[in-house]
Amino acid sequence: MTLSAANIEVQYEARAAVRPTTLALEPGTLVALVGPNGAGKSTLLRALAGLIAHGGTVTWRGAALARLDGRTRARTVAYLPQDPPVHWPLPARELVALGRLPHRAYAARETAADAAAVTAAMRQTDTLDFAARSVNRLSVGERARVLLARALAVEAPVLLADEPIAMLDPYHQLDVMSTLRTYVGGAGSGARLVVVVLHDLGLAARFCDRVLLMDDGALVGDGPPETTLGSAAIRAHYRVEPFIARHDGEPLIVPWRSLKERSGD
Amino acid sequence: MSPTARNGATPALTAILGLLALLAAAVSLVIGRDGGGPTFGFGGPELAQIIVQEIRLPRTLLALLVGGTLGLCGAALQGLLRNPLAEPGLLGASSGAAFGAVLVFYFGIAGASSLLLPLGAVGGSLLALAALYGLAGRRGDFLTIVLAGIAINALAAALTSLALNFAPSPYAALEILFWMLGSLADRSLAHVYLALPLMVPGWLLVVAAARGLDALTLGEDTASSLGFNPRRTQALVIGGTALAVGGAVAVTGVVGFVGLVVPHLLRRAVGQHPSRLLLPSFLGGALLTTLADVAIRLLPPGPELKLGVVTALLGAPFFLHLVMRNPAREA
Repeated sequence: MTLSAANIEVQYEARAAVRPTTLALEPGTLVALVGPNGAGKSTLLRALAGLIAHGGTVTWRGAALARLDGRTRARTVAYLPQDPPVHWPLPARELVALGRLPHRAYAARETAADAAAVTAAMRQTDTLDFAARSVNRLSVGERARVLLARALAVEAPVLLADEPIAMLDPYHQLDVMSTLRTYVGGAGSGARLVVVVLHDLGLAARFCDRVLLMDDGALVGDGPPETTLGSAAIRAHYRVEPFIARHDGEPLIVPWRSLKERSGD
Repeated sequence: MSPTARNGATPALTAILGLLALLAAAVSLVIGRDGGGPTFGFGGPELAQIIVQEIRLPRTLLALLVGGTLGLCGAALQGLLRNPLAEPGLLGASSGAAFGAVLVFYFGIAGASSLLLPLGAVGGSLLALAALYGLAGRRGDFLTIVLAGIAINALAAALTSLALNFAPSPYAALEILFWMLGSLADRSLAHVYLALPLMVPGWLLVVAAARGLDALTLGEDTASSLGFNPRRTQALVIGGTALAVGGAVAVTGVVGFVGLVVPHLLRRAVGQHPSRLLLPSFLGGALLTTLADVAIRLLPPGPELKLGVVTALLGAPFFLHLVMRNPAREA
């Protein structure tokens, strides 16, 4: 019961955005997808979500996602784009409730389960206070959390989130990372898989079980944070000199100085 | 605000609009017009049946059906293109239908059968849709659709002008011009029977896209990830609009601005939901068009104003108001 990607590959006009990549991602894990700008993180995430044409296949529990009907796929894999548009100024709660569309039949009213999922998602993202407020009256950070609540409300076993904390203040960055941690759950039948694109390597190292490091369309690192986010790898792929330490028994990574030349390793 | 109150707002609005539309229809059945201006009642028991059945009933039914079609399709197109300035005329279905009808006039065969004209209009509308799909269907993105619609509109307008230019007689040119203004006068039940088989499937296609329109609120990627293929939503809305609006234009000519104004007036009342806007817009369009057509009959004696002229006179200032106001600021 894994999300498996076999030879996933994406071409953008003769340029390889994602080079052939094979992955197996287990429920119960919070996976960080990191890498410098233009490394192909968002493209890989979109390919996993089945939103763009790609080579290879993505399977969930052995079934090819592309073969599933739209609604079943939508209930299996939730996807949160980076800074998605909101075209109509819906009240925040109504926007979150859009995450229940895959669960609802045509013209069906909201069920108790739908309402519970929406409320739970809004509580987890600290957005209940402005449930009735129009989305375009919210601050950038509030809006980002409402959009995350929308993705959580799907209650899918797989959540793919593209930079959900980029717009948030430190309090809510930490809060959202714990929320994703909770969403993943423990081992067992309720366990879920979350893949989250992050630029904060420190938060990736602290909160995630596994880190996928991409550079130039290729997966160049895959494993627990301590091994993937070593100072050599950060120097090589991010072109920064990191400061790495431990605080309260947890890893602390701060990009310290940019390196003008790519280091050899 | 409790969830029940939120869900309750739209049914109440729908019921009120439906009731008002029925009332307007009843008024429309009672009021007529002759050379001396408006007439009221039925002018005697033996005349009553003929007047209602042959004159006022077709006119009233068409006002409801055409207005409803324009309101519904306007709401759906605005949801699809996520733009409050979209309206049915945008896709070229109206101008294509107008050109089809003009061709019938041009060849002077309109007199042969009262149904040739609407048939020509339906043909023109379907042709415009086919062209739209040929130009933009494969690429499929919304911007291409809009640009292709503009191109088709321009071409149809140019061809219509060409037909006017070569019109066999000044009288034929006048006839073409008047028809293009849009009117519900002098229609029969045959026109209703002609339009309905196009409108009903069109409505059903559009309404089938309702949830897809909601999902599109968050953009195409999120809509796809929620299980609603934007290409499918687009095919339903555009195909349905072409059928229904083609049928409408075929029997009434071009009636503008209803599809633009009505959804915009109702959007706030339904809490901005694209899907909840559909049915109220249908009823609101039916109401507005019927009222406009009643107003025409109430004017003092003189040549009867065309419906399309009245809706444009009311709609154009409203459109200007929309443009001057930043849509993003509305909440």
